Amino acid sequence: MTDVHRRFLQLLMTHGVLEERDVKRLQKHCYKVHDCNATIEKLEDFINNINSVLESLYIEIKKGVTEDDGRPIYALVNLATTSISKMASDFAENELDLFRKALELIIDSDTGFASSTNILNLVDQLKGKKMRKKEAEHVLQKFVQSKWLIEKEGEFTLHGRAILEMDQYIRETYPDAVKVCNICRSLLIQGQSCETCGIRMHLPCVAKYFQSNSEPHCPHCNDYWPHEVPEVFDPEKERETGQLQQTLSLLSWDHPGPADPTRPLQHCAGPFLTKVFLPQGPCPCCGEHLPQVCQFRIPGPSGFYSDVYCDSPI
Amino acid sequence: MSQKPKSRSRPSSQGEREPGGGGEEAPSTSRGPGGAASQRRAQASPAPGPRSQKQLELKVAELVQFLLIKDQRKIPIRRTDILRHVVGDYKDVLPELLRRAAERLEYVFGYRLVELEPRSNTYILVNTLEPVEEDAEVRGDQGTPTTGLLMIVLGLIFMKGNTIKETEVWDFLRRLGVHPDKKHLIFGEPKKLITEDFVRQRYLDYRRIPHTDPVDYELQWGPRTNLETSKMKVLKFVAKVHNQDPKDWPAQYCEALADEEARARPQPAGPSPATASAPTPAPVS
Repeated sequence: MTDVHRRFLQLLMTHGVLEERDVKRLQKHCYKVHDCNATIEKLEDFINNINSVLESLYIEIKKGVTEDDGRPIYALVNLATTSISKMASDFAENELDLFRKALELIIDSDTGFASSTNILNLVDQLKGKKMRKKEAEHVLQKFVQSKWLIEKEGEFTLHGRAILEMDQYIRETYPDAVKVCNICRSLLIQGQSCETCGIRMHLPCVAKYFQSNSEPHCPHCNDYWPHEVPEVFDPEKERETGQLQQTLSLLSWDHPGPADPTRPLQHCAGPFLTKVFLPQGPCPCCGEHLPQVCQFRIPGPSGFYSDVYCDSPI
Repeated sequence: MSQKPKSRSRPSSQGEREPGGGGEEAPSTSRGPGGAASQRRAQASPAPGPRSQKQLELKVAELVQFLLIKDQRKIPIRRTDILRHVVGDYKDVLPELLRRAAERLEYVFGYRLVELEPRSNTYILVNTLEPVEEDAEVRGDQGTPTTGLLMIVLGLIFMKGNTIKETEVWDFLRRLGVHPDKKHLIFGEPKKLITEDFVRQRYLDYRRIPHTDPVDYELQWGPRTNLETSKMKVLKFVAKVHNQDPKDWPAQYCEALADEEARARPQPAGPSPATASAPTPAPVS
């Protein structure tokens, strides 16, 4: 266990869940800080090494795959407790109960999605302080923001993070309702199912299994597979779009916009000014006019750097 | 946190990872360096009732997670909270649990568990790793913008001789567009931040000055500030803001130097989380 691993763990813990390409970026950053000349260990080995130390603490860095598009994701999960304990510190009792109700609806459903209406109708049954429907809508959005749920067209399903963290809890609490993928035998929330024999498969598992097969057949009953076979996730193809997204995410304000590093600074010239700043002009996604602002990165006592924006227009 | 320790299972993840290590039930205490040390531990520690090594290990794991989560909010962790939420009927071995948890926290995560003040029975985690500017780009939580305001106030207090009246703070901050009674775009409610939140987190001490009319308060560094940063670091920050050298303030520079020297000297009885009476055997591997 070296400082490279420790910094990696510290920073990984600031994310609830992280995509593989960001995990690799994080690893590269930690090497750069502590041990510039060492060759970066293969991610799988790097993580296995850390996990062997984490074992005595009953936690591990678990790898999973997003159910909708097959992206590899990582989360630090608790092995010892089988409950939704990680959420317990961030949410009130009635909010946790709302999550449990949504979870139950999602698992019982055929599609893996629970409609907003059905969840909100259970608001009166919640433990703890009474919650109104309006409030419950906000709480559901909080779950989406903190990556416990995904919302699609008014319906909610479990985020990859929740599936990774609560796998054991779900299997133990809902042993009869739980669905399992025919290919990888892991917990299944969203997927495709055979209309004849009813077996289910994850979308990324379908993609891999039927790759370059023009006439897919059900692996169980051999009947014609009626659903569209998705593409296998390609990290290389992602890299190009990923770099653009990375640049956009560095400029987080309300509206991401392309950086223009060639434009000279004209406003604040303080020592903590970082090079990134937003250009004046309309937001590329919504067209709203953006002011020109400067971003500062100020060191804090406990190891945080905080990003502060000057809001006076240039 | 659930109090029922379940056996560790390794559900197969959807990735290609093979289930590493065995799916063994017994905790593997001899993994990694220090295998001999853990054997010594197993032989030396007396059996305190019917508690197995595995049960203790699980308790330590719970305690470590509790401390990590609590420290996230930067609120000092009280011993009583630890007893109530985690330790429960393992109260008799609390010093041992704390000692092991502290060792794990430092070895695995690089956080040192320290007591806020001697005999205060409250603890915080101090990062042993130096912050690096590029960390901000890979963090998931973007620090907190309020930290910027904290640094300004800490700098102000130090430069003014380690104590400052609240009225002076606002005179200064008003010039930066931060007012006690106006909501700030970035900092939210500055008055609440400075006089309540930072105080609760123990970055600042906020005391009423007696016999003042109208009532005035004085602000000083709190115990957490001295543990997490130093006079020299804060002076360097102030110097950087002014684009000058720390030595341009000779009085403060001397004070900061003296503080550095005091820190470098080995502590006679350093703050330690475990107030165990019995000498403890070799640390857990």
